[in-house]
Amino acid sequence: MSALVEAIDLHKHYQKGKAEVAALRGVSFAVEAGEFISLVGRSGSGKSTLLNIIGGLDTPSSGELRVGGRNLAAMDRELLARHRRTTVGMIFQSFNLIPSRTALENVALPMIFAGMERPVRSRRAAELLDLVGLDQRHTHKPAELSGGEAQRVAIARALANDPAILLADEPTGNLDSHTAAGILELLARLNQERALTILMVTHDQPSAERLSDRLLHMLDGGIIGEERGGRRA
Amino acid sequence: MKGSDLLQFSLDNLRRTRLRTFLTTLGVIIGIGALVAMVSFGTGMQRNITEAFTANDLFTTIRVLPVRMDIEQVMAGNLDGAMSGMQKRTRALNDTAIALIAAMPEVAVVFPEITFPVKIRFGGQETSTTLRSVPVAMGGYTPYDRMGWGGFFSSDSAAEVILSYGLLSRLKLTLDGEDEQARTDSSRVWRRVKADSLIGAEVEVITSVLDLGRMMSGGLAAAGQPSFTEHVTRLRVAGIRPRPHAFSNEQVQGGIVVPLLTGKRMPRFAFNNMWSLLSRGGRPTGSYEALYVRLNHLQDLPAIRKRLQELNFSVFALADQLEEIKRGFLMVDTALGAVGTIALVVAALGIINTMVMSILERTREIGVMKAVGASERQIRTIFFFEAGCIGLMGGMLGVLLGWLVSRLANWIANLWTLRQGGGVGGDIEFFYLPPWLIGGAILFAVGVSLAAGYYPATRAARVNPVEALRHD
Ligand SMILES: Nc1ncnc2c1ncn2[C@@H]1O[C@H](COP(=O)(O)OP(=O)(O)OP(=O)(O)O)[C@@H](O)[C@H]1O
Ligand SMILES: [Mg+2]
Repeated sequence: MSALVEAIDLHKHYQKGKAEVAALRGVSFAVEAGEFISLVGRSGSGKSTLLNIIGGLDTPSSGELRVGGRNLAAMDRELLARHRRTTVGMIFQSFNLIPSRTALENVALPMIFAGMERPVRSRRAAELLDLVGLDQRHTHKPAELSGGEAQRVAIARALANDPAILLADEPTGNLDSHTAAGILELLARLNQERALTILMVTHDQPSAERLSDRLLHMLDGGIIGEERGGRRA
Repeated sequence: MKGSDLLQFSLDNLRRTRLRTFLTTLGVIIGIGALVAMVSFGTGMQRNITEAFTANDLFTTIRVLPVRMDIEQVMAGNLDGAMSGMQKRTRALNDTAIALIAAMPEVAVVFPEITFPVKIRFGGQETSTTLRSVPVAMGGYTPYDRMGWGGFFSSDSAAEVILSYGLLSRLKLTLDGEDEQARTDSSRVWRRVKADSLIGAEVEVITSVLDLGRMMSGGLAAAGQPSFTEHVTRLRVAGIRPRPHAFSNEQVQGGIVVPLLTGKRMPRFAFNNMWSLLSRGGRPTGSYEALYVRLNHLQDLPAIRKRLQELNFSVFALADQLEEIKRGFLMVDTALGAVGTIALVVAALGIINTMVMSILERTREIGVMKAVGASERQIRTIFFFEAGCIGLMGGMLGVLLGWLVSRLANWIANLWTLRQGGGVGGDIEFFYLPPWLIGGAILFAVGVSLAAGYYPATRAARVNPVEALRHD
């Protein structure tokens, strides 16, 4: 069985004026379906860059990246949009909800771009909000939600089009430790119950060790080490 | 991707920035309003001229002159040139010529121009006017096929007359139920009559005859002065022509009309104008100043004109002039349209400005939409819809504004013409807003708005989601 995500010698350079910044310098790794992977490493090591490339928000400068058997490096912008729409779901440190829309509408957003009918969207969005434990918050606007609730809405939204992988960039970075624990617990539960593959960037090493199958250590744009987590132990 | 959902996005966005949307749309409204008001004025004027021509059926009328007169030279004031052209006179406009032209299958009616100034006496009032003679055969053609009151002549030699509407006011008559405005003019003493009571009434037509005998024997008092005798012809009113179109020519519409032979037999000695004075000099007896040729179909005009020219007649068709006038109006239309278009260009800049601003504000939101799977095409569509909505709203309200302005301007213009123009006026339509102008203006507004939205929409579609989502 081939890996769900397979990166081979990924490079990413940013042009910063005349200087070239190398954010990724030859990253190679693989993720199996159903795994819970944590990416750890100090600030600026390239974690977000790697996640954005896997999520199809950014493109690698060189190297190969296969997600679900398809090579992202060969995709045009239209195909990348489709990749973001169908294959991955992303959540961020800042929740990135649309302030003018209710929780339900935010969750339904990806389904609009997927061309789903309104009644189907609403029903599914409501189910997802219930799933993340927000059955009482459907019609709240983001400003009326706590940080933990907002991140749960974001998670529900990421699951809207039933992706194979959830990409989480420091999902608990803006939350207090108690709320953070609740979010991590939700992610672990989704990984467990729905066999959702999760790739999470975090600075919370203890939690990462406890929840994930593997921890990938990054430094200066490369993966310098791998560590087994405690999930299946 | 579903269009209705993307449209919903656009509408939500517009609603969220209601004031800004309104102000941007207002720019389009004013631009389209100006465009519509101006073009509908140009169109209205053109229509009025064309209708005046059509009402008198001037398109299918050719005036045949005996000589090749270089119209352009006369227009340019070059009488010498025109005179030298006259020397090339070749064919007399006599009854032979009439028979020749009448034999052409495309020709409906041909008759000589017998037109001269007369005085009219009726109901104690007297006025000067122009008498024109028309054969009974013209009864089936515009403008004689439609009488306001009464009917056409019974024969070519009947002692009958047809009055024009304009003449009534000069005879200080006002018809029952007509022209309330004229009666308020206190400087005139108006007599109010029923139109039907005028039909069959007797009119005295007075022509002047040069009395050579009296001139010779008149002695000192009359020496050197031409002496005229008045000759009275009594005619019965057969009909009254309808109220003329606002833009009609008084020469065509005014005056009186008598049957051809009745007019021909009236004693007279009159110089209609400079031209008839000049041409009369060497004109053989039994020939006419000009002939009127009425064609059955407009499309025969070029062929007939060519044939008549080959027969050495000089031909003057008003249809040619209308082309000239139309070209002039096209230029006016273009100029007016250009002014409106400038206003719309300003509105388009407003749209670009508004949309670029709103994209800057919504960069993060656009980033979110792209992150959850919106394609560039979908984002572009959302913004195009937004621009299109502004254009559609602006276009529709702009047409409404243009219409309101044209109504107001029309009202003011009519007040003014009424004050200036005596008998006729008060209900002239200066503006014309045809369906194509309404549709065209709205389409134009949408088109311009979409064009204005192109750059912002493309810019929105190209937003880099990574940069847009980088935390604050
Ligand atoms: N758009 C960009 N232009 C130039 N340099 C960039 C850009 N994005 C990232 N970088 C650089 O690439 C490197 C990796 O950045 P990245 O955001 O991936 O780090 P990170 O591991 O996510 O850090 P953090 O833990 O602080 O989020 C950094 O040195 C950053 O300055
Ligand atoms: Mg980061």
